[in-house]
Amino acid sequence: MERIIAVDISGRHRHNSRYLMVCAAVSLSIAGGHVKQIHDVNIKPFVSDTPPEVVDVVQMIERTVEGMVGVTIVAEKGDLFNQSEWLSNSMFTASFKYPESLSERMGIEIAHHISLSSRNLLLDSRSWEPIKDNL
Amino acid sequence: MKDVILVQRRIPRCSESENQRKLAELRELARAGNYNVVQEVIQTRYPDRQYQIGKGKAEEVAELALSQKPAKIIFYNPLSVTQVYNLSEMCKCEVIDKFQLILEIFASRATTRRSRMQVELARLEYELPRARKIVSLLKMEERPGFMGLGGYEDSYEQDVKKRISRIKKELSTGQRDSESLRGYRHSEGFSLLSLAGYTNAGKSTLFRTLVDENVEVENMLFTTLSPTTRYLNINGRWTLLTDTVGFIEDLPHFLVDAFRSTLEDVFRADIILLVVDISEPVDIIRKKLAVSHEIFWEQLEKATIITAINKADRLFPEELSSRLKSIAYLAPNPVVVSAKTGEGLDELKDIIHSHLPEWKRFTLELPMSGESMSAVSWLFEEGIVHSVNYGHNIVMDVEARNEVYRKAKSLEKRLSFR
Repeated sequence: MERIIAVDISGRHRHNSRYLMVCAAVSLSIAGGHVKQIHDVNIKPFVSDTPPEVVDVVQMIERTVEGMVGVTIVAEKGDLFNQSEWLSNSMFTASFKYPESLSERMGIEIAHHISLSSRNLLLDSRSWEPIKDNL
Repeated sequence: MKDVILVQRRIPRCSESENQRKLAELRELARAGNYNVVQEVIQTRYPDRQYQIGKGKAEEVAELALSQKPAKIIFYNPLSVTQVYNLSEMCKCEVIDKFQLILEIFASRATTRRSRMQVELARLEYELPRARKIVSLLKMEERPGFMGLGGYEDSYEQDVKKRISRIKKELSTGQRDSESLRGYRHSEGFSLLSLAGYTNAGKSTLFRTLVDENVEVENMLFTTLSPTTRYLNINGRWTLLTDTVGFIEDLPHFLVDAFRSTLEDVFRADIILLVVDISEPVDIIRKKLAVSHEIFWEQLEKATIITAINKADRLFPEELSSRLKSIAYLAPNPVVVSAKTGEGLDELKDIIHSHLPEWKRFTLELPMSGESMSAVSWLFEEGIVHSVNYGHNIVMDVEARNEVYRKAKSLEKRLSFR
């Protein structure tokens, strides 16, 4: 059983002349073909006027995983502009890799759902429902 | 056996072992294509537009071709039409790349009409983007005018497109047939098992050992092209085991698409036996497993993966356990087997049995009558009968799937009310 931190960033496109991004990190234990346990979830929103570059992506991921317990950070190759694994790994302070097994991909899928839905929640003002009518 | 010269252009600063492995794979493919490798030419540089390798190296290959007189020159790197044209003009010999070699092997091995169509489709899809260029290169020295350049190029391309759509249509009809066959097999209570993995991992040997049959097995790439399905008894339960075509590294998209219907047998199975050759270096095993996982991730609906760690007889126990540890995160439900010696097959069957869809175990009491006797023989066919007692009534201890259980219970109710 291995412990990893699966990461995904949503919203890396222009929205009202800004880039509103949400990074989600999920700390989980995995076995060969399945996720055993989810330990912790961190979500962090980021805003930028310019499109994010590799260094920005690395920074966003590092700030989101801060304080989480896990041996290796795992993210999609596309998130780091398809650069080689050794290059991406050298840019992180923690150990980093691209997904290989089904369970690592499942972890990233979980992170993706979390980041996407939290971004939608933050962007949509109608999602803030009042508890009482007078609020 | 015809003679060939192999050529590999290596990317600067790429690892030596990786390059060696790729060249070895090309060597194996050439052997599978029934060729004899007389010379290997290697150059490390970035690609050249005209010749793929440098012009000087291309001239060197031409000199070799003149002295060795090979039937073909095979490049590891994909070649453009212009490169093929320039090289064959210079070497005065047929020049092909790895993908054309794979297509040749597929064509020579295709035995069923369906696999022949798949090969034809792959060949046409490979040819399509090159069609215009091929015609214009062939007709370069002709003058414009009647039957000259122009209309001809287009019509050849159109012809290729028409043939592609016709084959795709025919293949999709066949696909519907095989889907209904799979549905029928499921409704009959068979669980579907599939063997998957890289070429030469030992899938066919494992298949043969499991079903105890003489399926074609050779130490060669792409021995199996059409899927073969056989009955397999797993601790009393009948399943259908399918042997399929192996994966290959950097397999181009047009080939994957062409063989999708063959690979679909893998993706629609209830249980996939992912066969791994553990005697290979760990890095390569890891890479192959990662590619297999990627393919499964994109295609798999709902199936259990069991990793059959094959060729365990080639390693010492200590080495085997250290290798198993390093690939553990990529090997769900691992079982160490040796298809050759038969070691670990019982464990494999046990683990398959534990992942088969659950059957219900129940007791049935039927009155002694002709109809009950036919129900007994029906249950012997459809499930596992643990015991039968013929007394005043027939009492059976049966294990069967849900539909059979429901049918049997309603039959019991109907017969005992008479």
